[in-house]
Amino acid sequence: MSGKSFYSDEWHRVSGLRLRLKSNAGIHRQEFRGQLWYVLQDRTSGRSHRFSPEAWLVISLLDGRRTVQEIWDTACARLGDDALSQNEIMRLLAQLHHADVLQGDVMPDVDEMLHRAGKQERKKRMMSFINPLAIRMPLLDPDAFLAATLPLVRPLIGRAGGLLFVGLMGYALVQLGLYWSELTEDVADRVLAADNLVLLIVTYPLVKALHELGHGYTIKRWGGEVHEIGIMMLVFMPVPYVDASDASRFPEKWRRIIVGAAGMIVELTLAALALIVWIHAEEGMARAVAFNVMLLAGVSTILFNGNPLLRFDGYYVLADLIEIPNLAQRANRYIGYLIQRYAFGIETVESPVTARGEPKWLFSYAIAAFAYRLFIVSIIFFFVVDIFPLIGAVLAVWSLIMMFGVPIAKQIWFLLTSPKLRHRRGRAFAVTSGMIGTIAAVLSLVPLPYATLAEGVVWTPHEATVHTAAAGHVEAVYVTSNDQVQAGTTLLKLSDPVLDRQVAALEARVRELAQRADAVAFDAPAEARVLRERLAKAEADLDNARERQEDLAVRSSVPGRFVLPSSDAGDLDGRYYDKGERFGYIADFSDPVLIVVVPEKRADLVRSDTQAVAFRFADDPRTAWPAQILREVPRITDELPTAALAQIGGGTLSLDPSQPEALRSLTRVLQLELVFEQPNHVVTLGGRVHVRFRHADRPLAQRAWRALRQLFLSELNV
Amino acid sequence: MSDGAVQNLLPPPVLLPHRQDRHTTWIDRVESVAMALPARLEARRRLWRLTRVRDRVLARAPDFDRLSDAELSARIARIRDTLRSCGLQGAALVDAFAAIREQSTRTLELRHFPCQILGALVLLDGQVTEMDTGEGKTLTATLAAGAAAMAGLPTHVVTVNDYLAARDAETLSPLYRALGLTVGIIRTGLSPAQRRGAYAADITYASNAELAFDYLRDRLALGREAGNLRLKVERLARRGSLRGEVVMRGLHFAIVDEADSVLVDEARTPLIIATETDPTHERTWAERALTLADGLEAPADYIVHRDRRTVELTPAGRACLADAAEDLGGLWESSIRREESVRQALSARHLFHSGEHYILRDSKVQIVDEYTGRVLEDRSWNGGLHQLIEVKEGVEVTGRKHAVIRTSYQRFFRRYGRLAGMTGTAREVAGELRAVYRLNVLRVAPNRPSQRQQLPARYFATLVEKHAAIAARAAEMAGAGRPVLIGTRSVAASETLSTVLTQVGVPHDVLNAESEAEEAAIIAAAGTAGRVIVATNMAGRGVDISLGPGVEALGGLHVILSERHDARRIDRQLAGRTGRQGQRGSFEAMLSAQDPLLSSSREGGPFSAAMHRIGMKLHPAGAFGRAQRRAERMHGQMRKDLLKMDEMTGSMLSFTGDRE
Repeated sequence: MSGKSFYSDEWHRVSGLRLRLKSNAGIHRQEFRGQLWYVLQDRTSGRSHRFSPEAWLVISLLDGRRTVQEIWDTACARLGDDALSQNEIMRLLAQLHHADVLQGDVMPDVDEMLHRAGKQERKKRMMSFINPLAIRMPLLDPDAFLAATLPLVRPLIGRAGGLLFVGLMGYALVQLGLYWSELTEDVADRVLAADNLVLLIVTYPLVKALHELGHGYTIKRWGGEVHEIGIMMLVFMPVPYVDASDASRFPEKWRRIIVGAAGMIVELTLAALALIVWIHAEEGMARAVAFNVMLLAGVSTILFNGNPLLRFDGYYVLADLIEIPNLAQRANRYIGYLIQRYAFGIETVESPVTARGEPKWLFSYAIAAFAYRLFIVSIIFFFVVDIFPLIGAVLAVWSLIMMFGVPIAKQIWFLLTSPKLRHRRGRAFAVTSGMIGTIAAVLSLVPLPYATLAEGVVWTPHEATVHTAAAGHVEAVYVTSNDQVQAGTTLLKLSDPVLDRQVAALEARVRELAQRADAVAFDAPAEARVLRERLAKAEADLDNARERQEDLAVRSSVPGRFVLPSSDAGDLDGRYYDKGERFGYIADFSDPVLIVVVPEKRADLVRSDTQAVAFRFADDPRTAWPAQILREVPRITDELPTAALAQIGGGTLSLDPSQPEALRSLTRVLQLELVFEQPNHVVTLGGRVHVRFRHADRPLAQRAWRALRQLFLSELNV
Repeated sequence: MSDGAVQNLLPPPVLLPHRQDRHTTWIDRVESVAMALPARLEARRRLWRLTRVRDRVLARAPDFDRLSDAELSARIARIRDTLRSCGLQGAALVDAFAAIREQSTRTLELRHFPCQILGALVLLDGQVTEMDTGEGKTLTATLAAGAAAMAGLPTHVVTVNDYLAARDAETLSPLYRALGLTVGIIRTGLSPAQRRGAYAADITYASNAELAFDYLRDRLALGREAGNLRLKVERLARRGSLRGEVVMRGLHFAIVDEADSVLVDEARTPLIIATETDPTHERTWAERALTLADGLEAPADYIVHRDRRTVELTPAGRACLADAAEDLGGLWESSIRREESVRQALSARHLFHSGEHYILRDSKVQIVDEYTGRVLEDRSWNGGLHQLIEVKEGVEVTGRKHAVIRTSYQRFFRRYGRLAGMTGTAREVAGELRAVYRLNVLRVAPNRPSQRQQLPARYFATLVEKHAAIAARAAEMAGAGRPVLIGTRSVAASETLSTVLTQVGVPHDVLNAESEAEEAAIIAAAGTAGRVIVATNMAGRGVDISLGPGVEALGGLHVILSERHDARRIDRQLAGRTGRQGQRGSFEAMLSAQDPLLSSSREGGPFSAAMHRIGMKLHPAGAFGRAQRRAERMHGQMRKDLLKMDEMTGSMLSFTGDRE
C-alpha cells in the first residue's frame, strides 16, 4: 500500500494502557544539524535512541494516568499533520519497552521478554564468533575510582588544560622538525629489534590505559558515569576499552567531541613529553622507553584512533562534529536505501536521512569506509601471506566472506524473501543480476594486459678476458675502452726492466759462449763440445727471455670490442700488472645478451606465452628496450648466474643463507638468455635490467584461478 | 458419575489450557525446507504403522458383533475406564475403535469402512487425513472424536458452518449417546449459558467462526491477567466457575473438517470483537470521502491495482486533494488522514462490487466470503471501508467498529493442544500445513475406486458464448434425465447464468448467499432426475448431494465448472460433488478467455498481453493453470506475511501482556 496508514489494526492492544516512564529513564535534549532531538539511553544494551520532538511529546504525556488513546488524541490535536500514526506510536512504545524504561498497569508478557533476552544473548555470542578479531571482556567498574581521583586531574580538563596542550604540541612539533632525521633513521630496525619489542609490549598497555582514563575522566568531569572498563582483543592484541556511552547524553556537542578525543589528547601529550625526554636524556633505558612511548602514542594515535574510517575515537569525534549520530550504520543503510529506491524502484522505502546535508556525508562515508577496510584487509592479507601462505589464504577467504559473502547472502535473502520487493522482485533480480553479471563479465571475460616482471643482467656470450702474459709496468696503451680491435692487435705494452737486462745479459752470454766455442774448436774439441752445450742452453734461455719480452705486449686474441674495467680507467700509466692478471675484456658486443631469471611459478607462462619482451636498465629506468628470447636453459635451478640478481647484489632474490658463497637462491628459477638490438648503448657489463615479458591479455579471474591453484598445489598438494 | 462430578473431584492441573504461542525461528524455516522430503517418508512410515493398528481393529470386530446390546454397553463403559487411566493407546484404543464401530452399526446402521478407520487413526495421531471427497469424513470423525472423548479429552469437531455442525451432530448423537458421551452443538444466537452447556459436553460440534469468537470473548472476559495460577486462586476464593462469563473449557483437541478451507483459506480472515462508533458522524465522513474521491480522475490522479487490490494516489492526485480539502477543517487538514480516507473511498468504488464481494440484504451490506460464497454474518470491513460501501450503496450507515480484541484462525488453531484435520483436498497446501500448524498430510486410499468421469475442458472466446454453451449443455443433460450442478464463482455470476438459463427455458434453482434459507431444501432435491442447480461455492465443501432413484443408471450427477477458482483445490471440491462413494458421475469445465481469473495476466505491458493472447490460442489449459498457480502463490504469500506480521507485532507489543 502506498503512503503510510494512519490507523492500525492492532491499536486496541495498546489504546487502553496507562503507561509511564520509569524514573531512571535518562532522556536528554540534543540538537543535531539544527533539529531538536531527544536521546534516550538504554543502559541495558548501551545503545541510545533518538526521538523527534513529535515522539517526545507523546513520551512526555506518558504519566501513568492517561491512556494511550488519550495521549494519541492529544498529540493529534496538537501536532496536526506531523502527528504520529498509530503504528508509529506502537513502535515508539515498543522501543521504550525494549529500553526497559516503560512501566504500566499490566503484567508484561514474561515469556516474550525472556525470548527476547535470549535472542539478544545469542546475538552477542554470535558476534564474538563472527568477529574473532574484536572480542570485548569487561573487567571492572571504575566509576568510584574515577570519582575519587577526579579532583587530581580536574584542573587539566578545561581552558587551562587546553592551552597547556596547545602549547605543548607547538613546542613538540618544532622539536620534531629539528630532530626528524635522527628520529626516523632506520626506525624499522630499531623498533623491531628483539629487546625493543619487549619494551614495546610493556609500554603499550600503559599508554593505552592512560588513554582510556582520559575518556573516563572527561566523562566524569561533566557529570557522566563510567561503569565498564575492560579489555578488547583486537586482532589478538589486548587493548583496554572504556564504556563511554554515557557521553552521548551531553547536550553540548563540544563536550562529546572532547570526550571522544580525550584519549588521543592524552596520547599526544604523552608523545610530546616523551619527545622532550628523548631529546634531553642520555643514551640508555629512559631514552629507549621514551622513544617507544613516542612511537606508540604518536603514531598509533594518528593511524588508528584518529582515523574516522575505523570505528575508533576518530569516528565518534567525526560523527559528533558533523552531527550525524550512528554515522557508519546509517551510511550503509543509506547506500541500501539508494539501491532499493533507485535501482529496484521501491518507492516506499524510508530514507535514513533525517536532516539536510546528511546525504553527501553518508554517501561519501560509506564508500570511503568500505574502500579503507578493503585496503586494510588486503594489507593484512599480503603481509600474512608472505609469512604463512596457507594461513594467509584462509584469512583472506574468511575476510572475503565477512566483507562480501555475508552481505551478499543477506542481499540474496532480501531479494528472495523481502515483502518490500513484492511486485518489484523481477526488476530487483534484473538489476542485481545485471550488476553481478557485468562485474563477473569484466572479471572473467575482459582480457587485461598481463605481464611477468623479472630481473636480469647484461652478459656477453663470446667474451674473452684479456690477461697479461707477463708481469710488468704499463709502458704504453694502444687502445681505449670501446675500441674495436682485431685479433692480434697490440693493446698494451708493458715494460719489465729486469727482463730487458736479462735479455741483454743472455745475448752477451750467447755471444761470449759462441766466440769461446769457436776459439777452442780446434784446440780442445772436448771443451768446445762442452761450450756448445752451454751455448745451446744459453740460446734457449735467451729465446725464453725474448718470448717473455714479447709477452709484455698484450694482444687481443679475438676480434671484438675492448672493454677496460671502469675501475682501471685513467689509472694505467706505470701501473704494475702481475703475470696472468686481468687487464680488460674483448667482447663480441655485436651480439650481447641478457641473462634473466624468472621465478619458477611464472616459468611456464613465460615459456609458453610471451608475446613481447622489453627491458629497462636499473640505472636508467626511463627507456624501455625491446628484446627477444634467444634461448633458455632447459632446467629450473636454484643457481644464480651472478650475484647482481641476489639481494646482496641489489637484486630481489634471497640467497640460501646456509651456503652464502654458492649463489644459491632460496626459490628456484628459470634462466633465460635474451638478445636485444642497439647493443651500442650498453656500456657496462653485468648491469642489472628489469625485464617485462608481456603475455596475451587475460581476464583477472583466470589469473586468480591460476594463482590459487599454484598456492594449493604448493601448500596442500591438491 | 457425571462429568461435572469428575471435574469437581479432580480439578484439571491447568485451567483453560491452551498451547503457548510458538515463535518461528530460523530453525523452523531451515527445517521446513530440509525436512520436506524426510517428512514425506516419515508420513509413509506413520501410515504403515497406523495400517497395522487398523488391521487389529478389523480383527477385533468378531469379538464385538457377538455381544448383546447390554453387554456392549457394559464393555464400552469398561473401555472408557481403561482409556481414562491408560490413555489413548495400545489395546484400549483398538478396543475403543472396534466398540464404536460396532455401536455405529447398531445405532446408525453405518459401519466404518477400513479406510475410515485408518483416517480416524490419523486424526487421533494429530495429523491431517486426506480422503477423497465423498468418502464419509463425517463418519470417520466419530471414531476419533468418540475415542478421544471416552478418554476424557474434551473434543471439538470443527465444521465450516453452523448448518453442517448441526446436521452432523444431530445425525451422530444417537451413536455418541450409546457410547455414554454427551454432544453439544454451538449455533449462532445461543446464550452464554447455552454455550457453556454445549462446551461442557464431551464432544462439541461447532463452526470455526463460533469457536474462535467464543474463545475471543472468553479471553476478553478474563482480562489481561489470565494466568493459570491466578485463575486457580480465584477459583479457590470464590468456589464456582471461572469468572462467570467464561464458556469454554480450554483448547484440548480439535478435529477440523475441511481442514484446508478452515486452516488455510480462511487463515487471513481477521477475527475481531469490536465496539461501534457514532453512525451519523461516520456518514458525514464517508460522504465527504466519496465526494472527494469522485473529484479525482484515473489514471492522472490515482491508479487502481486490481491484482493487489490496492489503490495508489499519484502526486497529482494528492495535490488535487489538498486543494479540494483546503477549507474542510477537522481531520481533512491532515494530509495523512485525508489521503487514507480517499484511498479507502476509491477502493470502495473500484475494488468492491455488489454481488461479488458483498450483497445487499435487508438494506444492509453483507460481506460474502470469497471462498465459501456464504454471507459472513455481522462481519464488517475495517478502516471505514464498510461505511463507505454503505454510502455508495445508499443504505443506512452503521457505526465504525473498533477492535477490542482480534486474532486469526492461524493463531487460534495453533493454540489447540492437539489438532487434527480432514479434507478431500490438502496436497497443494501440505507444506503450509506443516510449516504453520505442524500437521502432516497423510493420504488415505478410497474404499472404492472413483467412477467419476472427467470430461475435457472446453474453451470459449467470450463470456456470452460460454454462458450459451453452458445453458445448452445443462439442457442436454437435464433432458437425458441427469441432474446438473453448475458451479460459479460469485453471486453475480450465478445470477447472470440463471438469467441465461431462464431465457433458454431451462428450469433451475439458484443456490447462493441470497437464497441461503432454502439451502437444505435445494440440496435435498438436487440429486433428482433432470434437476438443474446454479450454485456458488456454497455447493462446494461438505455438501452431499444424494442421487434420486434411477439417476445413477443414467450416469449420475453432472457437474459443470463455469469458471476456475483462485485455487485448484476449490475446483476439485466442486468436482467432488459427483461420483461420491464409487457412484457414477461426470465433471467438465467450460471456460472463456474473458474469465476474471485471467484478468491479471491480461494486464501488464503490451508484450505480456500479446504473449497471453498467443498462449490462450495455443494452450488454453496452460494459461488457466498458470493463472491459478499464480493466484495460489499470491494467497500463500499473503498468509505467510500475515503470520509473520502477527508474530512481529506480538513480539513488539509484548509489553501489553498476553491477552489475545
